Amino acid sequence: MGGAIGSAEPGGNTTMGKTDRRGFLKLTAAGAIGAASLTFGGRAATAQDQVTIRYGWWGGTERQQSYTAALEEFEAANPGIKIEKEFADYDAFQERMTTQMAAGDVPEIFWIASPQVLTYEKAGLYRQLDDIPTLDLSDFTEEILETIRINGTLNTMPNGVFVPVIRYNETFAQEDGVEIPTEDSGNWTWESFQQLLIDYTNDNANGRVGSTYNPTHDLTFEAYLRQRGEQLWTEDGQIGFTVDSLAEWFNWWETLREAGATLSVSEQEGVSPDWQLAGDKVLVNFNNSNHIIDDAKAFPDYTFKMRAMPVSEGAVEGHKYLYYPRMAIYQKIAEDKVEAAGSVVNYIINDASFVRTTGLTMGAPINPRVRQEAVEFASDDEKEMLRIVEADAAAQRNPRYEAPAGSNNWRTVMVRTAEEITLGGADIREASQRMIDEVAAEIERAR
Amino acid sequence: MSATVDKTSGRRQESLPAAPIASKRRRRLGRQEGAAHVFMTPWLLGFVFVTAVPLFASLYLAFTDYNILYSPEFTGLENFRRMVDDYRFWDAVGVTIRYVVVSVPLQLAFALLLAVVLDRGISGLPFYRGGYYLPSLLGSSIAVSVLWREVFGHSGLINQVLGLFGIEGQSWLQNPTTALGTLIVLNVWTFGSPMVIFLAGLRQIPADLYEAAKVDGAGTWRQFLNITLPMLTPIIFFNLVLQTIGAFQTFNQAYIISGGTGGPLNSTLFYTLYIYQQGFVSFNMGYASALAWVLMLAIAIVTAIHFLLSKYWVHYGDD
Amino acid sequence: MARSIAAPAEGSIRQRWQNRPDNLIKHAILLLFLLVMVYPLLWMVASAFKPGHLVLTEPGLIPSEVTLDNFRKGWNALGRPFSWFFLNSFLITIGSIIGNLVSCSLAAYALARLDFRMRRLYFAVTLASVMLPFHVLVIPQYIFFSKLDLVNTYFPLLVPKFLATDAFFIFLMVQFIRTIPRDLDRAAMLDGASPYRIFWDIILPLMRPALVTTTIFTFIWTWNDFFVPLLYITKTHLYTVPLALNSLVDSESQQGVGLLFAMSLLSLLPILVVFTVAQRYLIRGIATTGLK
Repeated sequence: MGGAIGSAEPGGNTTMGKTDRRGFLKLTAAGAIGAASLTFGGRAATAQDQVTIRYGWWGGTERQQSYTAALEEFEAANPGIKIEKEFADYDAFQERMTTQMAAGDVPEIFWIASPQVLTYEKAGLYRQLDDIPTLDLSDFTEEILETIRINGTLNTMPNGVFVPVIRYNETFAQEDGVEIPTEDSGNWTWESFQQLLIDYTNDNANGRVGSTYNPTHDLTFEAYLRQRGEQLWTEDGQIGFTVDSLAEWFNWWETLREAGATLSVSEQEGVSPDWQLAGDKVLVNFNNSNHIIDDAKAFPDYTFKMRAMPVSEGAVEGHKYLYYPRMAIYQKIAEDKVEAAGSVVNYIINDASFVRTTGLTMGAPINPRVRQEAVEFASDDEKEMLRIVEADAAAQRNPRYEAPAGSNNWRTVMVRTAEEITLGGADIREASQRMIDEVAAEIERAR
Repeated sequence: MSATVDKTSGRRQESLPAAPIASKRRRRLGRQEGAAHVFMTPWLLGFVFVTAVPLFASLYLAFTDYNILYSPEFTGLENFRRMVDDYRFWDAVGVTIRYVVVSVPLQLAFALLLAVVLDRGISGLPFYRGGYYLPSLLGSSIAVSVLWREVFGHSGLINQVLGLFGIEGQSWLQNPTTALGTLIVLNVWTFGSPMVIFLAGLRQIPADLYEAAKVDGAGTWRQFLNITLPMLTPIIFFNLVLQTIGAFQTFNQAYIISGGTGGPLNSTLFYTLYIYQQGFVSFNMGYASALAWVLMLAIAIVTAIHFLLSKYWVHYGDD
Repeated sequence: MARSIAAPAEGSIRQRWQNRPDNLIKHAILLLFLLVMVYPLLWMVASAFKPGHLVLTEPGLIPSEVTLDNFRKGWNALGRPFSWFFLNSFLITIGSIIGNLVSCSLAAYALARLDFRMRRLYFAVTLASVMLPFHVLVIPQYIFFSKLDLVNTYFPLLVPKFLATDAFFIFLMVQFIRTIPRDLDRAAMLDGASPYRIFWDIILPLMRPALVTTTIFTFIWTWNDFFVPLLYITKTHLYTVPLALNSLVDSESQQGVGLLFAMSLLSLLPILVVFTVAQRYLIRGIATTGLK
């Protein structure tokens, strides 16, 4: 008896007969070859005379498509520069960025998440921007540049300009016979606005409520603080607000919520509202100026308009501010790529055709001249946005400082605090104090 | 005694009668040892390069303060001390333990039940098997968060059904008491994976055992108790151990459904989600590594207990 | 003792238990349960055909408006037809399957059947590697591959599969192998078979359900894997399906849900096909091997 292992018994057959096993071997071989070829696939050979610049940004499908198109226009006009487009959705982008930072592998041009601006700066991720010949800054006055500089250095460039706004549903307002006061009517204070929302909810016949529940919206909170003479962050990287202001802010919202003038946390699925769920139930929404463009698309049957934030009596001078979403050039960029990167950034901020293609989803252009030009091709919603931004840009503005290193978690802490108050029944003042303590502790740890 | 044919000379040779068992066994063992090294080579390479190096790196990091942008700074046991006072750490531990203890047995129970029922033979078996497996395909996909809101949300299916009875429901996802429950349901919903493994295991039970039992007059239930269950124990054990480990490591579902926050009020703050928040959001990579090693230790202890207990109930065919 | 292991053909399954007619009640219960399980998916299918802005505002299964827009827009959303991403995912998935089948079966056999000094240690280490939380290994692993200039290739995704790093499957196979009686091995060894022959001729054929299960799960997990490709793949033309899907939805504005559903549905189809086909191999089970 030899060699009879596994061979056929009369009448039966082996599962893995000879053909199966040969097949298995072939699979293995194929797999090995396939894997080998794949592993080295995807490495495009770059032409010798071309410079490749990696550009990293985030958003949704529309932004991905529009920015890709705009960057391709640039490439067409500049054949010596190839742009590697590295896109991801916001959360995924931040995750990848973290890993890339650890490996020293950051894209040459990258967008910066707002809580990370100073953290990255401290880590030396930004390259200076005012010594690049291909990056033309002549349209920017010294005043504007000063607002862009961080710690005296021009090392980031705004992608756009946001301001906080009250966005309201004009269709609802007309249907329900309500008028939203204008900013200069004298009737546009936090107190009167609160009353308006409560009255609206009680009076309208369509079951709509005044507003979403949105105390965690960072830009509007900042506007509120600045009116009271405080700010989010101080120049030397500390928390710039007091527990009083924070508690009053939450109080303002709790009054509304308990009066039923905002959606419940359950209805809007969280302490931060989901626009898709909330949009057809509320009269107003607190948001960034640029969001009107995307949000309006979710409800094509309604028209939306915007107002600047309410201003209470006794608000300090210069409380208005502009918010800059920023991008930067990587500090460790290869020397021979600097000029190419500079011309990409130059195109983005100085050439109106860029925003013509991308639309104004990142807010108003930072370059005043381009802002003017943009009015010509802006949609109605975009014009609304530009109007408000121009008004705020023209106003007197006190300085504004970015979030310090270690505070990048502050918005999630605020969300948790809001949850403690609304779902956990916590005392507002105590919860506010805890939030400040926690954020301060993290900042301390990062020193 | 066996005869072999000498390949060179073609002559039949009687082999020497029973050589001392020891040397034959030694030779067999020696061959096994050599073969083992060959078989284990890919794994060894994989372990050294893909796993071990990062593993030891993370062990080192657990004793440092490392914020990704700068070099790690050795801080000794500081991270572990911090854990003790960290209320979110304890929240995460509580959430994870509750999840494991409830969802794993529940999920396996469904999987086993359905596998046994389906294996008994029913028309349309592939249809049912595929259908029950479908949810597992979507288990950790991004679409699940929207789907889950569709079912458990404020205007979701459950509340609509409750509405028929006049009960007004709140969003199950936004309620700190029930939010974890929705994730447990999600885990149980994806029982298809262990079910398929059970089915494969059931498939491997020799049919003649059942034949013999039937001849002896055993009924369906006796057959199940005396044949199916014992023969299936290795697979039950496998599913138990791995689902437990997997449950401890749950990340995707928690991240997707809570939007990465672990809310509301930390009620879905799974341990790995907390590790992620510390490492990738707050950049406390050293602390995150320390947290990870504590998790590993916990899983190791639980798994060791599983293995120790397995002697009492798992029956292998190769004994 | 030579035990013959009979191969149950599809029909003879019924002979394994007492012959029971399908009763309606059984079907009814199973169907009802199935419907409950599958409801969210049905909703997803219905929503994929709804216009974008109605997806979340309109609960319920019957769309008020039906459109193929989501499919059309989603297909070309990233500047190239979605089939491109399917192909990428296929390549990686098939490669991973082969890698896992080969490397894990080798390791599983050694751990389950062979006697060698390091066995317990290797077993413990393999077990330990399953327990590692992924996020902690990620950064050192990324640094390792990026220093080797292997980012934006499929190397970091595929090579680990050929090196038996998916310990889950090693375990699965070990448990399956351990259900195979050792008598077969011993008989073969008496005949002078080497461990290699035993592996190839006896164990591997009898492990078929484990191999099929490995194939199915590797396929599904690799197909759905998001985080690892996210890290290593930044060039759109190398994207896998989950990466492409992810960029359809903006987590800030929650747009694009309709597109997400439409494309998710499409990406489920290959998995379903694989699963349906592979099921048949699970059915066939173990065929006869005989010993003289």
